[in-house]
Amino acid sequence: MRRALTAVAAVLAVVLVVLGAAGPASAHNVLVGSSPHDGAKLRHGPRAVVLTFNQPVQHGYDTITVTGPGGGRWEAGATTVDDRTVRVRVRPLGPAGAYTVGYRILSADGHPVSGELKFSLRTAGTGTPSSPGPTTAAQAANADGGGGLAWLWIAIVVVIAVGAVIALLRRARDTPS
Amino acid sequence: MTDEAPPLPVPAPVPASSDGARVAGGGEVAARFEPVVAYAGAGLVAAVVATGLMVGGRVPGIAAPGPLVEYGLPVARVLLDASAVATIGLSLLARLLGYDAPDRTEPVMRTARRLAFVSAVAWVACALIATTLQAAEVNPGVPLTPGAVAAYVGAVAGGKGLMLSAGCALVCAFFGWLALRHGEKVPAELRIGIALFGLLPLPVTGHASDGVYHDYSMISMELHVAGAAVWTGGLLAVAVLVAARPALLELALPRFSRLASAAIFVVAATGLFNGLVELALTPGVTLPGGLLTTGYGVLVLVKVALVALLGGLGAHFRFRLLPAVARGGRAAVFGWASGEVAVMGLAYGVGFVLSRAPVV
Repeated sequence: MRRALTAVAAVLAVVLVVLGAAGPASAHNVLVGSSPHDGAKLRHGPRAVVLTFNQPVQHGYDTITVTGPGGGRWEAGATTVDDRTVRVRVRPLGPAGAYTVGYRILSADGHPVSGELKFSLRTAGTGTPSSPGPTTAAQAANADGGGGLAWLWIAIVVVIAVGAVIALLRRARDTPS
Repeated sequence: MTDEAPPLPVPAPVPASSDGARVAGGGEVAARFEPVVAYAGAGLVAAVVATGLMVGGRVPGIAAPGPLVEYGLPVARVLLDASAVATIGLSLLARLLGYDAPDRTEPVMRTARRLAFVSAVAWVACALIATTLQAAEVNPGVPLTPGAVAAYVGAVAGGKGLMLSAGCALVCAFFGWLALRHGEKVPAELRIGIALFGLLPLPVTGHASDGVYHDYSMISMELHVAGAAVWTGGLLAVAVLVAARPALLELALPRFSRLASAAIFVVAATGLFNGLVELALTPGVTLPGGLLTTGYGVLVLVKVALVALLGGLGAHFRFRLLPAVARGGRAAVFGWASGEVAVMGLAYGVGFVLSRAPVV
């Protein structure tokens, strides 16, 4: 009993330290500014899309895409984060028309925030998209999935938990004090 | 209900409850699980419906985590809350019944300890599952590797919080198992304390506000979570194991009623504070208009209404049922308690969505 209490005290101490180090949790990030701004009518394509949020954005889980008329993709390279701003470079744009900026970032509080804004290009450029047309149905399905492997881990957790409960209950019953 | 009552079909609100109502040798009692079904069912319905309202349209060019993750996560979190609350309530039952009449209370306590152990293991499992789903949520469109889950836990406070909660739940399960073998010699206070501690990391996974009010809103949120857990868990344990046994109800109900009276004020005050601060600190939201114009504000109002309803039910308990029980009369405690935990389940379901919903 005494040793168990010591073990608990140690665990609680570790929890307190880690909680203290986890830093402030904060509210959801809100988009407060962008370049180009939502609804902009541009003569020339932007060299980059820059989104500014009201709070720092977590690194490593952030994506900005630019989808053009006809479904071609126009962002170039990976999305980068600098404190409250998230940025992606843009290829030279092609046809005139409506472009959609889609984003998904991870808030300071660990929750994903996504959204979109639009701008239009008045004068056609000479660029070509990185992927020429709209994604096929198969690709779209793949993009929406990816949760399959997660369910394998979940099934393993459930099986272990149920097994542990049954085995330990039986053991406690066999050896009453 | 007699002790020889056939075991009820066990619902599966928690993955590990398959052994739920089986009556072991050595003088245990049958538990009634309808209140658990009412509570978890209401929680699941509220969480899934509120999630459905909150899940926005697909953003062009951005992979979405898919409906399995979008709806699986609230389900896992509601079951996590349910198992944590059940663990706390069942541990609390020893204090509610007292130690003065062991021949009357011990059969019920034996069942309570077994259920508390099962729910603590379920809590561990739910916390691990929720961690997995949250990692899947931020890695849409790619197969989820164990490395990605580890990286998520390493990088994001929400993942750390869930793992800490799982750790506390594991300690809870360990002491719960010791209590299975050694009875109340393993102090109930210790088990209650560890279980409450396991709840504290969870608000870190939601958004308490930042800025000047950060410290206050974190403290307020922790009080909110602890108050709600003690209140809900206590009522759940009373409903499942005590409500149908007048001799025990006489012992537990007055103590629970005092606890619940304190809890409702704590829960209402802290919840309102946190909801309003969150709205007030969001750019582009003005109060009081924001309560009606934002989805978040509407959910805050829904929770206020639910707490008001709980207050009414609590008053009925305190001023109608309690005097009847004290006089030794029959009172429909089981039915009222089941209804009240169902309302609490709704509040928990909405609460989870509220802790994640974008404010604007």
